Amino acid sequence: MNRRILVASSSALACALALAACSGGSSDSSSGPVELTVWTGFTGGDRPGYDQIVKDFNASHPNIKVTMDVQPWDTIQQKLPSAWVTGQGPDIAAPSSDPNVIAQYVKTGSVLPLTATGTRDGQIDTAAFPKTLNDVFTYDGKLYAVPANYATLSLYYNKKAFADAGISAPPKTVEEFKADAVKLTKDGQYGLALADNNTIQMWPLLQWLEGGDIVDSNNCSVLQTPEGQNSLKTWTDLVVKDKIAPVGLTGAEADSLFSAGKAAMEMNGPWAASGFKDAGIDLGIATIPLAQDGDAVTLGSTAPLAVSAKTKHPKEAQEFVAYWTSKDVQRTFSKTTGFPPLRTDLADDSELAADPTISVFASQVPDARLYLPHVPNATQVDAEQYVPMIGKITRGADVASETTSTGAAIDGLTGCTSK
Amino acid sequence: MSSIDVAVREGAQAPSRADRPRAARRWSRGRAAWLFIAPSMLILGVFVLWPIVASLWYSLHDWTVGAAQQPWVGLGNYTELMHDDQFWNALGNTLVITVVSVVVLVVLGFLLALALMGEGWGTRFVRSAFFFPTVVSLTSIGLVWRFLLDPNIGLVDGVLQSVGLPSVNWLQSTTLALPTVIFVDIWKTTGFTMIILLAGLKGVPQEMLEAARLDGASAPRIVRSIMLPTIRPTMLFATLILTIQSLQLFDLVYVMTGGGPVFATDTLVTKVFREGFVNFQTGYASAISWVLFALIVLVSALQLRFFRYNDVD
Repeated sequence: MNRRILVASSSALACALALAACSGGSSDSSSGPVELTVWTGFTGGDRPGYDQIVKDFNASHPNIKVTMDVQPWDTIQQKLPSAWVTGQGPDIAAPSSDPNVIAQYVKTGSVLPLTATGTRDGQIDTAAFPKTLNDVFTYDGKLYAVPANYATLSLYYNKKAFADAGISAPPKTVEEFKADAVKLTKDGQYGLALADNNTIQMWPLLQWLEGGDIVDSNNCSVLQTPEGQNSLKTWTDLVVKDKIAPVGLTGAEADSLFSAGKAAMEMNGPWAASGFKDAGIDLGIATIPLAQDGDAVTLGSTAPLAVSAKTKHPKEAQEFVAYWTSKDVQRTFSKTTGFPPLRTDLADDSELAADPTISVFASQVPDARLYLPHVPNATQVDAEQYVPMIGKITRGADVASETTSTGAAIDGLTGCTSK
Repeated sequence: MSSIDVAVREGAQAPSRADRPRAARRWSRGRAAWLFIAPSMLILGVFVLWPIVASLWYSLHDWTVGAAQQPWVGLGNYTELMHDDQFWNALGNTLVITVVSVVVLVVLGFLLALALMGEGWGTRFVRSAFFFPTVVSLTSIGLVWRFLLDPNIGLVDGVLQSVGLPSVNWLQSTTLALPTVIFVDIWKTTGFTMIILLAGLKGVPQEMLEAARLDGASAPRIVRSIMLPTIRPTMLFATLILTIQSLQLFDLVYVMTGGGPVFATDTLVTKVFREGFVNFQTGYASAISWVLFALIVLVSALQLRFFRYNDVD
């Protein structure tokens, strides 16, 4: 008798322990508001802007309660793929700060095609998003994410360092940019804080300024072409020979170098502004200098916001996404964070145009290019090929041979066929 | 089943009036024990054993989490590994880290343990100081050291520059990064090794040491002929644990260099992480994990043999 009870109770206990982990999903109670969870990786200076969106949404939507869980991007990247596939995890998430990551989730059927689009209240107003952003989140004609934000890179510069070097204005062209970087490199100060790993992409932008690129429209490498090699060689020489920037910086290291007043310029997004101001830098923000061909170009960066294919509340989740990207919310978000508005119908907003920080970033939106958009295996092209190649050539490896071998490897990853 | 046989047989060999009840009692006690173990076994099974088996299964497929199809590739992932320069690089780095850190740790830990065997306040304080880094997580230590070693704003280079030496790119240089990471790993783990070996040394019988001294044995001779043989089981434990830890080194590298610059500090586990969670190649990452698993089993077996484990006790 006793033994039977023991058997029953201990196995029941074991089952309970094993199952406890699985039964913690979203509550399905018929009464009370619909509960939605959101995972994002917005841990930086722009975090208050996102917190405000959630807070305002909950206040204006009594039937829905959204909880946002902010974790580092690495952590989300580890947990989200398996969580979404198995029907766990949040209803909504920003899976990465890299828009190309959405491809992975589309492949595994984990993200919901967004259908609640339109211009009415509570609908996702895709017509107001820049075309580049709609394109990068569209696969096989279906939209799988919206931009959670849209940033461009600008040129931050230290006004005091410029004055000390006798330079009166920030560089207007890439030639001035290079000359200033050399001139500003002296007495333990670097001309440019240039990061090549764990960072927003800076080297691709330098290549674009010089007329080079990574892949062409057929996803074939153009690193090894004369233009590609030349663009890399020019800036590699500045780093290796003129020592305008330390080698191998991470994004965080580049930021602290600039914050410490030990670098005179840095190309970065709007999220960096508050940190630089707090560091007491006499800060100037200018548009990225014009490229060799006289055209304006900068890097655009967007984090995707997607809905789980297995959410129990697809309607409410899309309502939240629509709210996030709606006009008034984005105006408030821009004002709080200094980000340019992600909606084209806010481009001429007088209130935002009057803000000296937002206006610089916003003015470059029309010229912004995304990094490797829709390139197959873009994350591997970046992590396994492009970033290591920059690491090697800035440590003295031969540009010609490195671009040739890296180019071949990139062609293999992207499935470039035209050769 | 065999436990019943044994219980019955033992019961039968001891004829007494409590014959049957005793056998039954033994059995019931055994069964109760199993029942109490069952929950832990279940948890171990679900959270340890099953993932191990599953990863072997993944490693035989071109596995992507959640994909509709997981094509079977047999040993394809393993043959791909053989041609992956990054894998060999990571394996080489892992072996360098393991050999250097384990040797230095055991030697340094033993010398410290010898020096700090006393029980005065001073020695206790120094001992605690050496042990302190063990208590702090590797991640925090990695962050602090990365900050200290920053060539532009770090304390270490500030000191170097103030005495007129050039600043050094500790973590940005492809040649210096690996030695720097190994140094921080050793700095963190020396105290732990010292404490383990100290416990072993404290177990050396005082009479033996006194007898040796009376016989006129020199200090080095006592260390070589009495202390080292006596603490062999402790030595085995220390080297085994340290080796396995070093082969699995991840957090320190991840925080300090992320496996860079240009893969100069990439270890097998940072490579597994990148393949699995950045490139989403779960099958390939699982294959690397199994190579690491085999390596750990092999190295541990060799160590048990080297320390003549079967002679211990």
